[in-house]
Amino acid sequence: MSGVNLSGIVKAYGALQVVHGIDLTVEEKEFVVLVGPSGCGKSTTLRMIAGLEEITAGDLTIDGRRMNRVAPKDRDVAMVFQNYALYPHLNVAENMAFGLRIRKTPKDEIKTTIADVANVLGLTEYLDRRPADLSGGQRQRVAMGRAIVRHPKVFLFDEPLSNLDAKLRTQMRAEIKRLHNRLGVTSVYVTHDQVEAMTLADRIVVMNNGSIEQVGTPMELFNNPANTFVASFLGSPPMNQMKGTLTENGAKVGGVEFKVNGAVNGNAGRDVIVGIRPEHVTLKPSHETSALPIGLDLVEPLGSEALLHARHGDNSLVFKADTEGDIDHLSGVKEVHVPAHVVKLFDAETGRALNLEV
Amino acid sequence: MMKWNLYSRGDKIFAIAVSVLIGMFTIATLYPFIYIAAVSFSSGFAAQAGKVVLTPIDATLDAYGYILKDPQFWISYRNTFIYTIGGTIMSMLFIIPGAYALSRPQLKGRRYFNLFIAFTMWFNAGLIPFFLNMRDLNMLDSMFGIILAFAVNAFNIILLRNFFEAIPQSFEEAARMDGANDFQVLWKVFVPLSKPAIATITLFCIVSRWNGFFWAMVLLQSEEKIPLQVFLRHTISNLSDDDEFSIALGAAGFSAETVTAAIIVCSIIPVLMVYPFIQKYFEKGILLGGVKE
Amino acid sequence: MAEEFSTALQEPLKGTSSRSEEGRMTRLIDHFKREWQIYAMLLPTIIWFIVFLYKPMYGLQIAFKDYSIFRGVAGSPWIGLEHFNTLFSNDQFIRAVWNTIQISALNLLFGFPAPIILALMFNEVLHASFKRTSQTIVYLPHFISSVIISGIVITAFSPSAGIVNTVIGWLGFEPVYFLTQPEWFRPIFVGTGIWQEAGFGSIVFLAAIAGVNPSLYESAVVDGANRWQMMWKITVPSILPTILIMLIIRIGNIMEVSFELVILLYQPSTYETADVVNTWIYRQGLQSGQYDLAAAAGLFNALVAFVLVMTANTLSRRFSRTSLW
Repeated sequence: MSGVNLSGIVKAYGALQVVHGIDLTVEEKEFVVLVGPSGCGKSTTLRMIAGLEEITAGDLTIDGRRMNRVAPKDRDVAMVFQNYALYPHLNVAENMAFGLRIRKTPKDEIKTTIADVANVLGLTEYLDRRPADLSGGQRQRVAMGRAIVRHPKVFLFDEPLSNLDAKLRTQMRAEIKRLHNRLGVTSVYVTHDQVEAMTLADRIVVMNNGSIEQVGTPMELFNNPANTFVASFLGSPPMNQMKGTLTENGAKVGGVEFKVNGAVNGNAGRDVIVGIRPEHVTLKPSHETSALPIGLDLVEPLGSEALLHARHGDNSLVFKADTEGDIDHLSGVKEVHVPAHVVKLFDAETGRALNLEV
Repeated sequence: MMKWNLYSRGDKIFAIAVSVLIGMFTIATLYPFIYIAAVSFSSGFAAQAGKVVLTPIDATLDAYGYILKDPQFWISYRNTFIYTIGGTIMSMLFIIPGAYALSRPQLKGRRYFNLFIAFTMWFNAGLIPFFLNMRDLNMLDSMFGIILAFAVNAFNIILLRNFFEAIPQSFEEAARMDGANDFQVLWKVFVPLSKPAIATITLFCIVSRWNGFFWAMVLLQSEEKIPLQVFLRHTISNLSDDDEFSIALGAAGFSAETVTAAIIVCSIIPVLMVYPFIQKYFEKGILLGGVKE
Repeated sequence: MAEEFSTALQEPLKGTSSRSEEGRMTRLIDHFKREWQIYAMLLPTIIWFIVFLYKPMYGLQIAFKDYSIFRGVAGSPWIGLEHFNTLFSNDQFIRAVWNTIQISALNLLFGFPAPIILALMFNEVLHASFKRTSQTIVYLPHFISSVIISGIVITAFSPSAGIVNTVIGWLGFEPVYFLTQPEWFRPIFVGTGIWQEAGFGSIVFLAAIAGVNPSLYESAVVDGANRWQMMWKITVPSILPTILIMLIIRIGNIMEVSFELVILLYQPSTYETADVVNTWIYRQGLQSGQYDLAAAAGLFNALVAFVLVMTANTLSRRFSRTSLW
């Protein structure tokens, strides 16, 4: 059982509390991504798991052992840093061997381990180069190699891809995923990029202001955001949100009534926020849809799809539509059709989802 | 040089005029060295008569012969090497670990320790209490005393501390997660990463040790302990004070002036030899001195 | 969510405060157990500072005592401010204070602008290897010891043999006894200082110039400015903060004349213009053995210097928002 368990984890700097009691269990071999805007406490949480920050209150266990006051080196975790922290005075092999040497691992064992890991990461031919002579992607791989050689129980990643350009990031993202599938080591990964979170995670933990907003698989979070924060944080473009009131069958925004599937938790007349994902609308009506009249501002073609920037009353809305190879037919759109099962309702005051169980 | 073609005529004249002035200042800087070298290779008569301007007159090595035969010259030369090498190593033994500790955020009372060190840059007790303290410590006329008592100064510690503080935290954190303790972090990560700063401080230490004069003169009495600078000073003042001596020397083919010049040349040569190696560091190093709290 | 938020905020905080009261001592012990190495690394340096720099400060009390070697610092009787009365009625000491200030003022007037002018000129030199070579040469004298500098000066200004008098002879004048005449000491001393330090001092200003945004010059070129105008309108204003800070440092160090070189160059016949506070202390204290009086002079000097340096730091903080240390 190489799981990580956080219970009631708090971090405070003097009177300033930045992490407000986090409860989270990372199962063995699971890949969990902590995602949230900058300053939400995700990196601090990761650094507490690593042992780089003291835990103010709460309990951290790794592999069933309480780790609160165990030195980082004795926690059997390895970390990939945002800036990789590769030692410029050492070559690739020496960088990867650093931790093993400190731990007085026998020389030939170091050698074979480095060779194996270099092989896995495609670094064999670069072993005697210095970090300065490597490309961004190669450096990233060395940083991972340094973590892998130690065979730790847990991998920690602190925004490891944020220093790469967009194309390389996509490539390395896939590589990290493949590596995890192959090695199966419990991983905690911090990022502010929701696409990275969606693509990499077995489970995503969305954090905001030092607390967890929601935990779940990527699709759970995408389909059923627990609140307006998660709804707007995951998905690109974010979920459209409009103020409305609850009715018997759904919700009303201005003169338009949206039908909603399943039970809604609340009384008619209550103020709600109606959430609709940009990609969930259709241009053709069907018996299950509600029509939403819009004033179209702008059509942005992306290739196979286009973004429709539109207004409804005071609300600025964005929708995705298929181009079918041409955008001319989109310029005349006067209304979109919203299927009942995609309409999300949130409490206007607390932001909490009212029809989560669907 | 590409710019040159784009310069207006006025700008070209300005650039030329500036280059000429720079050239003149450079020559003025260099000239005294050339002059001293020329004097050292001239005959005593020519030097005394003021005939030497640019090149040796009646070229001779007599002045060097006189110096190199003096055992005291070799003793003091050796001593200077001892003070320079021993003193620099001693400085590093204090400065590197001290600066590392002061740069660690987890050091309790860090602010006060820093103030404790920095205060000595603003206020010091002065010559007399320092001298009396050395006497109380039994460090008068002691080579070890000289090496130890001038090993540390606040400026060098703060300079290196600033450099250490600028090293991204993740280097230390990565090493720590790999199991390194503070000594290993310092020796295997911080020291290699700080080569420019450490080279600069080493350079400052070497130069100040090589050139150190005043305290060596005050604290050392035994001739077998004095460094080159003190020997040089004795020779210069003896030669220029003692008229009879210089007349006697004149007959021997060298004079007070040529002997002085020859010692100067001998003691500058090591500086000139290392200068090209250190030059690339001190330009950076002087800027590291942009001290901040 | 809001409720959850507020409870999450309060409960653990309660927990921590009670924990910290009982666990403060254990935490401290824990800290030293974990971090003892950095304290071990700091210890030798702290001890060194105490033994070699702070203990002499304790010894400064002899400025207020009738010090005798046999009774030691602690055992000598207090005599209040008597040494200071003696000092301020001593013409030679008063003269040394004035000499210090006057030599520093001359240094400020001529020595301070020299590296700035040199840096501005280096910035206009286009030929890279010429620039490099002459920089290498002008930095060199900084690394030469004062004894050698004094040897060069003594040789070059010697009345019979020196090159300076040789040139004066060519021009048909009588030789000048530069080093024995009081009126020549300060020009020679200040001039030597410029020769030795102007080049090295230019490094700081060259770095400041290198930090000027190149697009400022490019837009000035497009606007039709010439190099002279760019120097005055762009370079000088851009490095003004550096100039100001260096000036403040200089003013803060006004009591610090490089007395080593003074000792090497002056002689009784030039004391009148050459004797500074530290050389006076050296003669009174170390040569004549009047330790207590000399220590009092040193204390006076150190206090004035301290006030000047502190004032300078405050000023620089105000002007540049970055203090010097």
